Amino acid sequence: MTAFLQALASGLALGAIYGLIALGFNITYATTKTFNFGQGAFLVPGSLVGVSLLLLAAGKPHFGNLTQAEMTMTAYVLATIASVVVVGAIGVALYYCAIKPFVGAGGLNWVLSTIGFGIIMQNTALAIWGPASIAVPSPLGSEVWRIAGAGIRPQEVLIAVVAVAVMVGLDIVLRKTRFGKALRAVAFNPQAAAIVGINVESIVIAAFVISSALAGLAGILIAPITTASVFIGLGVALKAFSAAIVGGLTSPRGCMLGGFLLGVVEALVGLWRAEMREITIFLLIIIVLVVRPSGLMGARSVEKI
Amino acid sequence: MPLLVSTGMVLALPALAQNEIKIGYNADQSASGAAELGLSGLYGFQAAIEDLNAQGGVLGRKLIGVVRDDAGAPPKSIQNMNELIDNEKVAAVVGPTNSGNALAWLHIPQQKKVPVISHVATATDITARYAKEPQNYIFRVSMVDREQLALLAAYAVKASKSKNVAIIADTTGYGQAATKDLQEILTLHGIKPVGIEKFGPKDTDMTSQLAKLKAAGADMIITGSLADATAQVLKSMEKMDYYPGLLSTWGSINTPLVNIAGPKLAEKTIFAASTTEDASDRAAALHKRLVAKHPNMPAFVSAAQGYDAVMLIAAAIKQAGGTEGPKLQQALESLGAVQGIIKTYEKPFSKEQHEALGVADFHLAQWKDGRVVKLDDAVVKGLTAADLKR
Repeated sequence: MTAFLQALASGLALGAIYGLIALGFNITYATTKTFNFGQGAFLVPGSLVGVSLLLLAAGKPHFGNLTQAEMTMTAYVLATIASVVVVGAIGVALYYCAIKPFVGAGGLNWVLSTIGFGIIMQNTALAIWGPASIAVPSPLGSEVWRIAGAGIRPQEVLIAVVAVAVMVGLDIVLRKTRFGKALRAVAFNPQAAAIVGINVESIVIAAFVISSALAGLAGILIAPITTASVFIGLGVALKAFSAAIVGGLTSPRGCMLGGFLLGVVEALVGLWRAEMREITIFLLIIIVLVVRPSGLMGARSVEKI
Repeated sequence: MPLLVSTGMVLALPALAQNEIKIGYNADQSASGAAELGLSGLYGFQAAIEDLNAQGGVLGRKLIGVVRDDAGAPPKSIQNMNELIDNEKVAAVVGPTNSGNALAWLHIPQQKKVPVISHVATATDITARYAKEPQNYIFRVSMVDREQLALLAAYAVKASKSKNVAIIADTTGYGQAATKDLQEILTLHGIKPVGIEKFGPKDTDMTSQLAKLKAAGADMIITGSLADATAQVLKSMEKMDYYPGLLSTWGSINTPLVNIAGPKLAEKTIFAASTTEDASDRAAALHKRLVAKHPNMPAFVSAAQGYDAVMLIAAAIKQAGGTEGPKLQQALESLGAVQGIIKTYEKPFSKEQHEALGVADFHLAQWKDGRVVKLDDAVVKGLTAADLKR
């Protein structure tokens, strides 16, 4: 029973990470029907920029290891804001370099250009920070919280809380605000949106900035769990992408649900056989796509011919 | 007259070069997770050369270390090897850090007849690949995977009350090779592991796998993984409040273990090491000297191994009376006593034996207050040669 509870807790913690990154896929897909295939690489500056700022603030070189004393909540919040701003700004570059030349042109050129942009960014990070991983203490401390025998770390709870808050926020913005309506209008019909006076390009850029900023946020949030390193993003981002597909690329709620689902399935299958985890997850994705092609909570698109 | 002078200078140059003996160093000092072992190894390598030159060099000739960083990449490592042997004309090479790089270039020194002493890389096959050739040019002063796993298994079997020993390893070639070796060694002890679990090398949560080992009643777990993954295993144990004995390979001597798991949790794993900074007076003295020069030096163990590798090469050059490869190789195989840091080597190598260190030289160590110290508990004291099955 404890083992089951532990798997559930660990699965939800992992799932929150997947879900948070999956939200980044949602916002650009909703507006442009494209997304950043290099999203995993965006986690890298997210974690490294924040951690380096903390190190510099502590009077150390930009790589090395942070001690618990140097990681206060205030410092962490400031570093998080810095990461979000920096990675959000990289989102503008991503749009002009890798998306704009191809958007609306049909074809899948943007797939390769976003992957390429990610690789360029990852290797730039490699040149700046080197390959060693940086251990990052959690601002909430390293002790384990125990619930009925199952252990969970405060940082994991923080990630889950932030992920759900971001999801609710995105949901409200998309449904209730003028900006959200403009986003949906652009998604529905860019020409018509332009005719009614919406600046289509700035809306699309905003979508990419939000998406990248979310990756920056995810990067610094997961650093205390995964360590900050140039190689950390790819594996997690692939699972996050899977989560977005299972839950529904067009729905923030779906992305979050997909994340939690995948995390829990992964942990529970691990209780049985670790090597079956990936097999089960990708079987699940195939089954979901057969039964509900747009994901569990995705909007069904009606294509007129 | 001016012509004569310049001819004299031209003649003098090669004569000067002949008065030096170059030893190559080819190891990762910057890129992979094991780079800090290569860097410490370099400090030991340099210290040995300093000491030998202070005594007037070898055969009256000055020793020069020619250092190359292979950045953990096999192609770079191969290129370094060719360059050291063909252009720099080194008498011998010390290196590399990563077993994969050694396996990528072993044929080069073997064909060009230049002895190599591996001072970090541990793969069993490194010294074994050319064992059947008339002359095998590859030697080692380091841990050997099979041997260190034999020590870990012996400790686990002895320390386990229930004889429920389990294995957890990452899915890399290293982890899976360790799993295979461990299963074979445990079979020699008449023990079948109660569980064998795997995890991805970047996984951060191993609670599901550990829950199964807990359910199987494992009270001793042996890991085959590098320091950062072992740290994640420890963090998962902390989550579950499940602390069986955890034994790990010498990768745990690397600082990522302490940085990721934290100093307290890091103390909960016991690992194999060839030496520690407190193992002997000579070790303590070298450690003090190196730390004074390189305050951040991480792993003393490979510094000691690098130091001893140079000492063995120097002794062989002295015995061979020169640096010619085949003669040097034969001298290495018939050395007498050589004083090193880890121990005094008595006939360290022979035609059949290219490992200067074996399981009898290794000991167990653990982290205490952010430093690696020798473990000397009742179980270690009770270990006999008969327990070391391999």
